[in-house]
Amino acid sequence: MDRFIVNIVHRPEMVPEYAEKVTGQGKAEDIGRGALLTESLDIFKTQQAIAHKNGLKTTIQMTYASLFNDEAVALAKEHHEKYGDEISLSLLGLPCEQFREKYHTKDFCIWMFSMEEKKTIVRDVFGKFHDRFGFYPESTGSYYMDADLINFIKAEYPSVKCAVATCWEEGPKAYHTCNNSWYTFMDGGPWAPWIPSKQNTHAPAANEAEDSGIVAIPHLSRDLLACYDGNGSNFGTHPQNVLRGMIYDTKTWEYPYLYNLIDQYRHLAKFNNGYAYNMMFVGPGWMNKMGRWEAPYELLKKSYEDGCAYYGQLKKEGKLTDMTMSEFADFYREKKHYTEPECALWRDILYGSDKQLFWYCDPYMRVCVNMDQGGAIVDLRPYAAKLEWPVGIGTPHVQDASYPFLIQEKYRAGYFTHYAGEGTIRSAKICHNGEEVDLCLCRTHGHFSQVCTDRVLTLDPVEIEFSDLTVKLQTVFTFPEGTGQVRIERRVLSMSDPEAAVTINEYMVACYGTTEYAEDMTSLTLAVQAGQEKEVIPYAYRCREASLAGADEVNCALPPIKTKVTMTCQGRDKTGYVREGYAFSPMFTLGYTGTLREKEAFSTWLRLERAD
Amino acid sequence: MAQAGKGRLNYRCPSCFMRDLDIDMFYDKEKGEYYCIRCQYRGSEADVLAKNEMARFRYGAMSKRFTDFEDFS
Repeated sequence: MDRFIVNIVHRPEMVPEYAEKVTGQGKAEDIGRGALLTESLDIFKTQQAIAHKNGLKTTIQMTYASLFNDEAVALAKEHHEKYGDEISLSLLGLPCEQFREKYHTKDFCIWMFSMEEKKTIVRDVFGKFHDRFGFYPESTGSYYMDADLINFIKAEYPSVKCAVATCWEEGPKAYHTCNNSWYTFMDGGPWAPWIPSKQNTHAPAANEAEDSGIVAIPHLSRDLLACYDGNGSNFGTHPQNVLRGMIYDTKTWEYPYLYNLIDQYRHLAKFNNGYAYNMMFVGPGWMNKMGRWEAPYELLKKSYEDGCAYYGQLKKEGKLTDMTMSEFADFYREKKHYTEPECALWRDILYGSDKQLFWYCDPYMRVCVNMDQGGAIVDLRPYAAKLEWPVGIGTPHVQDASYPFLIQEKYRAGYFTHYAGEGTIRSAKICHNGEEVDLCLCRTHGHFSQVCTDRVLTLDPVEIEFSDLTVKLQTVFTFPEGTGQVRIERRVLSMSDPEAAVTINEYMVACYGTTEYAEDMTSLTLAVQAGQEKEVIPYAYRCREASLAGADEVNCALPPIKTKVTMTCQGRDKTGYVREGYAFSPMFTLGYTGTLREKEAFSTWLRLERAD
Repeated sequence: MAQAGKGRLNYRCPSCFMRDLDIDMFYDKEKGEYYCIRCQYRGSEADVLAKNEMARFRYGAMSKRFTDFEDFS
């Protein structure tokens, strides 16, 4: 039977991020305002009451500020006894008078502090928690938890087994949406729970040696199509997201999208051995009496009541299990093994298009396949590198916690570019008599299946029309578990002229980075190899190309992200090639050309590995 | 002219919202209008609400309740 798990997480934030700035407009900053503290606690109580009314247990993530508040501490103890809520500890909600006086800073994101300060703050916060409750927490979290921070917490406080550790695809898009003022850059992580590696939080552990010792959960469950393109904070299982996105009827105050989002997550059990997950994590700031965005308090409250009521209804129907974070960590450890991937065949549930994506995540890669572009890979993260990426003051990445990409079609263009250059994408071109069709223009849909330990994505066949030939072609992706490889097979099902032959060009245009802007490519090396013969191009923006007939492999080494990406091929007349980019188009291309006839297949493998 | 303040709710600029930019507007009580400090939009509360409705044009399935996530027929 499928298991759909939900974690409801509340944090009694005494000085909510939004409340002081928004509701305090026109007043000098005063984070000790009595009214602010009282209102925040009242909202927390309301949120707890709504969850409990619907038969849902919660995880109460105490904030540093709330540990100084006797009423908040007493409430947590009472709700633990009465409802089975877990008393947990958040590293969000640091701002308060006590914190400011002690640390003399307005920083509030734990991952951005220096490592020394992280240690000091963690010891302070965990110590304070122990003082108030007499034990150490089993779960913790923040919007992001870098690997060094997780490793430190696990070493000092082994009781911790679960943490909120990233916000899915919260990066430059969120920064832009917030008028370039919200410095949370954490793109490139898993969208569903995972076991972070000791080296990099975003990259799942491949084995016990890499296991950080915790189960990570994402901050909210987000729309895997809408969030990739738009503002992440509009499309998640926080009712405020849906209101912020204005995804509701202003007359009826109805928001079927929220339920569609929850239900599509439930549907993901089909691709993950009968397991699916949701998390709803709210603080008090958004539910204040003055309203938030365009929504009055009554709508804010209704949205939370409706969200909890839906989860409650699913629970009553036996379709949902509510767990605390630590309970979930135990469940997850029992349910999943290290190399088991997370898969999501996701459709558009908001815009009314028929677009469909397939997301795949394992300890070696995160991949997004876009069926609306003929099965092109539009996002690729090389987790196989397990890239050490320290974050915070005193590191090379003060704010940027994103896992680097090789392909990101929104930041570095995909199929479409403006008149010149190329965008990052992994696709194929079919050519015949001087005509060329890119599969990116062949819209289709896909179907998931599992064959032993292979996850298989089979696309509906597409028709490619040339002036004198029609080719019916099918694409099949195979992800063999635990290998760091993906196979892409193109099968010619039929041709209008059974004797005809077409040329295929399997290509991958890539680069590296975490943002929209180009990085220095000069340390990269491209290579094509056939037997003993090898041609190498050290990247120098000179638009060079090398190719070898019958090539065993083509590859690119990317020292800045300690990654080697390799393509191999099996097919008629195969020729491997590598192509350097140039200043206006700072990409590289790996590819194979070959010939396809009716009933034939042309297969390529993409392999990711660490290189240093 | 007195300084601008906050209106009844913190309305965002509908023009910026349509380009995925969340910017709270300020309220000019003398003119009875909200205005954006980033772009050139200004309008009454009624106009803001009307433009917000317009912004929803992209949510073609906003009112639809999905029961199948793999059926595109």
